[in-house]
Amino acid sequence: MHLSDRVTGTILIVLGALAFWGGSLLPAVPGQNVGPAAFPMVIGGGLMICGALIAIGIGRSFEAPGPERSEAPPGLASRIGGLAAALPPLLLIFYVLVAERLGFLPTAAIILLVTALALGAGWRLAVGVALIGPPAVHVVFHNLLRVPLPAGILPAPW
Amino acid sequence: MTLITRRGALAAGALAGIAPLARPALGQARYPNRPVQVIVPWGAGGGTDATARIVAALLEREMGQPFNVVNRTGGSGVVGHTAIAQATPDGYTIGMITVEICMMHWQGLTQLTRNSFTPLALMNEDPPGVQVNANSPHRDIRSLADAIRASPAGRLRASGTGQGGIWHLALAGWLGAMGLPADHVRWVPSNGAAPAMQELAAGGVDIVTCSVPEARAMIEAGRARSLAIMAPQRNPQFPNVPTLKEGLGVDFSVGAWRGMAGPLNMPTEIAQALTAALQRVWNGQEFRDFMNARGFGLVWGNAAEFAAHMERADGTLGAAMRAAGIVRS
Amino acid sequence: MNTLLEAFSMIATTEVAVAILASAVYGMVIGALPGLTATMATALLVPITFYLSPIAAIATIITASAMAIFSGDIPGALMRIPGTPASAAYTDEAYALTRKGQAEVALGAALWFSALGGIFGAVALMILAPALAEMALSFSTYEYFWLFFLGLMCATLVARSSPIKAIAAALLGLLITCIGIQNPGGVPRFTFGFTDLLGGIEVLPALVGVFAVSEIMRALTSAPPPPIPNRRLGSILSGQWALTRRYKKQMWRGNVVGVLVGALPGAGADMAAWIAYANSRRFSKEPEKFGTGHPEGLVESGSANNAALAGGWVPATLFGIPGDTITAIAIGVLYMKGLNPGPTLFTEKASSMYALYMVFIIANILMIPLGIVMIRTSRHVLRAPRAAAMPIILLLCAVGTFAIGNNPFAIVLVAVFGVLGFVMERNGFPVAALVLGIVMGTMVEHNFVTSLIKSDGELLPFFERPVSAVLATMTIAALLWPVFVWLLRRLRQARPA
Repeated sequence: MHLSDRVTGTILIVLGALAFWGGSLLPAVPGQNVGPAAFPMVIGGGLMICGALIAIGIGRSFEAPGPERSEAPPGLASRIGGLAAALPPLLLIFYVLVAERLGFLPTAAIILLVTALALGAGWRLAVGVALIGPPAVHVVFHNLLRVPLPAGILPAPW
Repeated sequence: MTLITRRGALAAGALAGIAPLARPALGQARYPNRPVQVIVPWGAGGGTDATARIVAALLEREMGQPFNVVNRTGGSGVVGHTAIAQATPDGYTIGMITVEICMMHWQGLTQLTRNSFTPLALMNEDPPGVQVNANSPHRDIRSLADAIRASPAGRLRASGTGQGGIWHLALAGWLGAMGLPADHVRWVPSNGAAPAMQELAAGGVDIVTCSVPEARAMIEAGRARSLAIMAPQRNPQFPNVPTLKEGLGVDFSVGAWRGMAGPLNMPTEIAQALTAALQRVWNGQEFRDFMNARGFGLVWGNAAEFAAHMERADGTLGAAMRAAGIVRS
Repeated sequence: MNTLLEAFSMIATTEVAVAILASAVYGMVIGALPGLTATMATALLVPITFYLSPIAAIATIITASAMAIFSGDIPGALMRIPGTPASAAYTDEAYALTRKGQAEVALGAALWFSALGGIFGAVALMILAPALAEMALSFSTYEYFWLFFLGLMCATLVARSSPIKAIAAALLGLLITCIGIQNPGGVPRFTFGFTDLLGGIEVLPALVGVFAVSEIMRALTSAPPPPIPNRRLGSILSGQWALTRRYKKQMWRGNVVGVLVGALPGAGADMAAWIAYANSRRFSKEPEKFGTGHPEGLVESGSANNAALAGGWVPATLFGIPGDTITAIAIGVLYMKGLNPGPTLFTEKASSMYALYMVFIIANILMIPLGIVMIRTSRHVLRAPRAAAMPIILLLCAVGTFAIGNNPFAIVLVAVFGVLGFVMERNGFPVAALVLGIVMGTMVEHNFVTSLIKSDGELLPFFERPVSAVLATMTIAALLWPVFVWLLRRLRQARPA
């Protein structure tokens, strides 16, 4: 998602304005002369200034451009392009929503399988990772470190 | 490399202690017949966490099943307390609740109150002390109280915890009991007792009203002095520190307490079994040694006494918060 | 002499030896796993310390944290995913070295100078603890404000990209810290009714999201980077002696800065690493090389962050005041084991103190062989197909952040910050500055507001106290320096007319 400087600058200005406004709504605290409104307002102001400078184009000259690569990315990206980047965050939310009911082992296996495939792995590798990964992580966290991982429909047999 | 990993694995296994395998209990359906989760609303390594861990370990010994402590931090305690209140009331999830449960709802942070739980036992209470810098001219609480009265409002400064925290309310309540407005001494918020004690030593504030155990390191280092504690009687760990009543004639006491509780509507037999076990833990030598080493106050209350204690605390703290202008419903 | 012998006998037990070894491996491994951090490693140890004797318990904390702080540099250098906020200060530099095929220089420097820094810190702790404590105690909120502000400004000095974008990123980080109730006023800000936001946004989910998750997102949309030449990893230590001689001044400066900053409660290894890196660049004779794979910065900040660890134990042992989260955890364990912080630790329990010092030194010496093993192992891991490693890293991000507070909301945060980091990087905003803002934000505001409360709104006290005055001058000088330089350049251009 490469946006032009003008767009990012404008986003910052809007964000800064929102912060400034949000901060100004905060009530003062009895006994303190500088309230919780101060910091958001100062930051909001700073963001607006920075946003304006960026939008005008100041400071662009310092950036070192990354190397352009013309090869096609593997896996999912070759089909849906840049949208593939949304996969990891979506999988994390998936984990939060589903892990309690489904259990750690199945959820982790699904996440590993999907990610591996999306990165262009062959079926054998992906399934391999999905089968070995979850139990290994489970042993380390649940048994060694005593972290409660949800059991769900497939509780670990140990 | 193999040797290291094997040794490491052995050691790790030994260190992990009791394996969390459910041991089938003889005579099924006797509570507990599988591991119990103990939720702590505060972070690992802190005072509440340490207390909960020792209680859990001793409970494990009493009742024969693993009692696993789980920290559920966040929201300044709201997340953990909510987790305890919303757990299934089958006796397999309990937790350690702290004085903040009587403060959070006044601040409008949550709907939870002390009535959202089944109280099991009160295990400890730490009253606030009144600490001053070692170089301060005040050698007793009366001298300090006179100085406070004589000073213009807002001249003196105190610290000990964040705005609206328990030690802040302690100061507000004490000032109220002396007939002064709650902000007569200006409160400087801090991220806990230790930084506040540092401010005291650096000369940034005049008074710190945190608990004496929290101030102990500074006191022993000769940087600070404790003039009084706001409790009904002296702490045997610090026998030279008089109570407010003794030193000043002002009968005000408050405290940061910790107790065990479960979600509402726990089965009565299970709650009673837990309370009985907790009493044995409280009376045991290990618990006493631990609490004495840290200087924590040993205070006991069974389920009914705990409930009454919380009700009193709710009232006192609510009044203090109103006086300090923190109530937000 | 007696106490020394007693101390030695305390640590020469099997239990302590096993504890040190096990926690060393543990710390090394956890720190090196992307998605898991040194603080996590230490926090997860607490339940285990319960079953150990006092010295063994503290030894595990000391060893694990020392190892993890170093090994957090490994994924940073190899995959651009730092293991700790401290490593984030120089991740880009280390990664650049790896891309040049000089991974062993980056990792070797991190290892060697971390170990040296840790030993320096331990020695400073032994000899100077009381003096350092005096210094720490004289720091009031005014001094802290300037120090943290100065630390924040390091963000502008280290960015490869435009300074304005770096400042914007840091400001964004500051804005994020406004969320929650952790402000001096105790007023919930920007929580929109979410209980989970009441406590504010913690650094770890942000760090993990912004570096690790966004890196995975990048992996999904770009071809795998050209494979790093698969030659035998040269001796990791061989180049280090030459580096030590060449950058002696940087190493010493990093060590001193590390101990001093670490000794100040509230400032820890993170700040030390940033300040050291910024110092390195500012005082370097070849500043333009920074960011292209230049070991000078790594020398200084690698020394600083491990030295800071030891410095953090000064206020912890003397007054029970935590220097950072790791020492806060350590203090809890000290209490739990009856080694109450305070003068008794130096008088009645002096042999325990000496035992702890010895553990410090042993841990840092042990770091070298273990570190070499770790580096070699991780190079093998690097050769694993990206499609197998990245999914595991993603899973570790989820489980690791969950493990600290057992709060699934942390995983949501990781996802959000992953998206944020991805978008920021694509548009030239340095994420390291964002992380720095989040690390510093609460402290800057806290010290600013409490200072104003104490001074009744007057600004003069910010400059009156001697140390504040010095720090203030340094900060303002740092602020105005680029402007000054720019002016000079314009004047010089204008002259030959």
